[in-house]
Amino acid sequence: MIVGASSAAGKSTVCALLCRIMRRRGMDVAPFKTLNISLNSFVGRNGGEMGMSQAFQAWACGLEPDCRMNPVLIKPHAEGRMQTVLAGRVADGKVAKEEAFAKAMDCYRSLAEEHGHIVIEGSGSAAEINLRHSDIANMRTARATSSPTVIVGDIDSGGVFAGIYGTYMLLPEEERALVKGFVINRFRGDPSILGGAVSRIEEETGTRCFGVMPYLPLRLPSEDSLDMGAPGGLEGEDVRKAWMDNLDRLADEAERSLDIEGLLSLLRGSSP
Amino acid sequence: MQWVKDKVREELQKGLIGPDESCQYHPCHFQGQDCSWCFCPFYPCGLPELGETVVSKRSGEPVWSCVDCEFLHRPDVSRAAWELIRAEGIDDPDDPRLAEVFRELRERFNTRAKALMVLGATSDAGKSIVATALCRVLSDMGYSVAPFKSQNMSLNSFVTAGGDEISRAQQLQAMAARVEPDFHINPILLKPKGDAVSQVVVEGRPYADLDVRSYYEGFVPGTGTEVMRRNIEHLMRKHDYLIMEGAGSPAEINIYHRDIANMGAAKAAGADCVLVVNIEKGGAFAYAYGTVMLMPEEDRALVKGILINNMRGDASCLDAGIEELELRLGVPVLGVIPHLDLRLPKEDSLGCRDIDGEGAVVAVIRLPRLSNFTDFDALELEGANVRFVEDPDGLSGADMVVIPGSKNTIGDLEWLKAKGFPPKLRELQGKVPILGICGGYQMMGERIDDPLAVEGPAPSSAEGLGLLRLSTVFDSREKSTLQVEGEAPGGGRVRGYEIHMGRSESHGQRPLFRLKDGEGWRDEGSLDEEGKLMGSYVHGLFDLPAFRSFALSMAGKGPKDGAGDDHGEGVEEGLDRLAAAFRAAIDESALLGGILGALR
Repeated sequence: MIVGASSAAGKSTVCALLCRIMRRRGMDVAPFKTLNISLNSFVGRNGGEMGMSQAFQAWACGLEPDCRMNPVLIKPHAEGRMQTVLAGRVADGKVAKEEAFAKAMDCYRSLAEEHGHIVIEGSGSAAEINLRHSDIANMRTARATSSPTVIVGDIDSGGVFAGIYGTYMLLPEEERALVKGFVINRFRGDPSILGGAVSRIEEETGTRCFGVMPYLPLRLPSEDSLDMGAPGGLEGEDVRKAWMDNLDRLADEAERSLDIEGLLSLLRGSSP
Repeated sequence: MQWVKDKVREELQKGLIGPDESCQYHPCHFQGQDCSWCFCPFYPCGLPELGETVVSKRSGEPVWSCVDCEFLHRPDVSRAAWELIRAEGIDDPDDPRLAEVFRELRERFNTRAKALMVLGATSDAGKSIVATALCRVLSDMGYSVAPFKSQNMSLNSFVTAGGDEISRAQQLQAMAARVEPDFHINPILLKPKGDAVSQVVVEGRPYADLDVRSYYEGFVPGTGTEVMRRNIEHLMRKHDYLIMEGAGSPAEINIYHRDIANMGAAKAAGADCVLVVNIEKGGAFAYAYGTVMLMPEEDRALVKGILINNMRGDASCLDAGIEELELRLGVPVLGVIPHLDLRLPKEDSLGCRDIDGEGAVVAVIRLPRLSNFTDFDALELEGANVRFVEDPDGLSGADMVVIPGSKNTIGDLEWLKAKGFPPKLRELQGKVPILGICGGYQMMGERIDDPLAVEGPAPSSAEGLGLLRLSTVFDSREKSTLQVEGEAPGGGRVRGYEIHMGRSESHGQRPLFRLKDGEGWRDEGSLDEEGKLMGSYVHGLFDLPAFRSFALSMAGKGPKDGAGDDHGEGVEEGLDRLAAAFRAAIDESALLGGILGALR
């Protein structure tokens, strides 16, 4: 399970590149995200609507996108109004939280029966303490699926150490126990300047840093409207192929910058 | 000391004289000082913040020295002192009622500014807007207030009346505080040049090009700290309040002890701190908690409150989170500030804002090191639709194309070529106006030479876009920074500022502007009406209506009716709206009363 310290921390990218790396190693892996709030959607096989980022992650896994990979999709369409897509189909009216979560877990179990590993993406920040009892997309999902969890923080927007430490500390103890470490994303410059800061956060949280991912201006399909117009090139004719080429470049970089073996070792003892 | 008493007696008779330009020592304290009380009627006050007891060299006796005190030289304090003295009818330096007057002055004014540091949990938390709001609120309450940010990294800079370069954000805060912007309010400006190297501007002038490591290890511990301290000291003597803005996050624990922009500056000023978090980006509670808890305990004690910024929708959904955060940190949340749609100039280069208007479509090429994108905000007044474009296709359908300023002209010119802009620009030539500003102007010429490696690591040359007959050479490390004023083509006033290195020679085209130059005039920029090509070094050229109207009529789009406003007036309105919205959102008695002591 990959959760974020903030909304645009880079969860989807980290999930996509883990999917890609596992696929390259011949592992049978599928993506999953309980709940997406996005207007960027895709229509998977059987016509089910789902979030674009899980469709992309599915391609990274060498799979056809399937709406079970994103069972709850919320599409805000006007001030305070939204459409809920449940397991690929538009739901009638408002869907109760528990109903949505139960449906999501059905989808998860059916995916998990078909695949060896699942990479789960959280939603927004994992520590919105005002929403503690209504958030089903982050630690509630991690608990229900007994998934080892990694926090991703964006260093480019500043305060990443505070964000990761604060996210960890604001989780209740039983959820903290699932958190195995963190990844620092979008770093520009010489990582040696981070000096003792990384080890201090490792000590304070008793978890480990799985690496510092450099900033690469490579465009992937963005789920978030905040990222619209993000810099970064795309080349070629078919955009899906161009995205995948970019993901391969990111995955090559991740093999150098992240402790991939360490991350994969988390999967042992927690196969779905 | 009879002669001192006699001098004071003379002053009591003369009344207010303002700055005394005839004095050979003027200005002995600061530009704009009031000289009415060259000898202090309240001497010796014995206040430790205004002076000290020293041993007299002449007599060997202890004596009160207040040579550096500026309190009575502040124009607002000086005037108030005179009004009180006149009301009481005091004309004798020994009148005991002078003690009453001094007591009254100390109640009304802070003898040394009370400082407040506005910290942010992330880069775009909203520190700058909160500091701007506080400057306007305190100024509205009748206080003398100065903004301050020791170190700012930004490509949007402004040139003061003294010819000094400071960040645009502090200039806006000075407007909010109703004080003249000078270099003291932003003594260190970092302008990123690429490859982790920044041009370091110190007290308004270029100082050196430094990389991250040499900045933190070489500059900050020595010169940087000294510059920060002396400018804080200067401002604290002149104002009732100092509203300080931090930089980035204060909890970057890898550089914590070399940070002169956040807690380093707060401690130097004895400032209380408030922490701003942006709720829109998610994780606001975690970032607030982590930021406070990662500080050393003595610094944590300075954080007196938290402001949650950028809330869309109903704030009551935050209540449970706020309650838990306050409980765990022991720091109160002082307010939830709603998302405000304010059209104020922005500092951050990430914040390039498209302006959605229904009028002319103005396509601005989004250069990788685009500088001063605030130049285009004024086009909103004409209802223009400003788009920032990264690809030549984005120019299609534009009524006007702008190549903006750049922090790295040759580097960005190469980018422009690699992206395939030149053929598209040639195709548009003569059809729609193409305007180059500063670096963009240089690019429009035939050639750019950098024999001294002013811009890059090695000497270089580049062929320009060849739209204008113009050549530019970076033949000196001197940087031109000046405010300018003059005539726009077709008449009317233009006002702005130049910030550039390099010198351009235009051959064969008409100049674009006529600018005042000392007693006379000089030609500036290039205009080729047939090719609809324009170029100039002047930033802010759209601020006044004359040039907007000229450029838009060349685009075949007349100015909007009633859009003859000065852009500055729109900003004043924005500041007032900001101050009102800010006051409505905060706990006034806690922030303005308890923390700032301003509700008296």
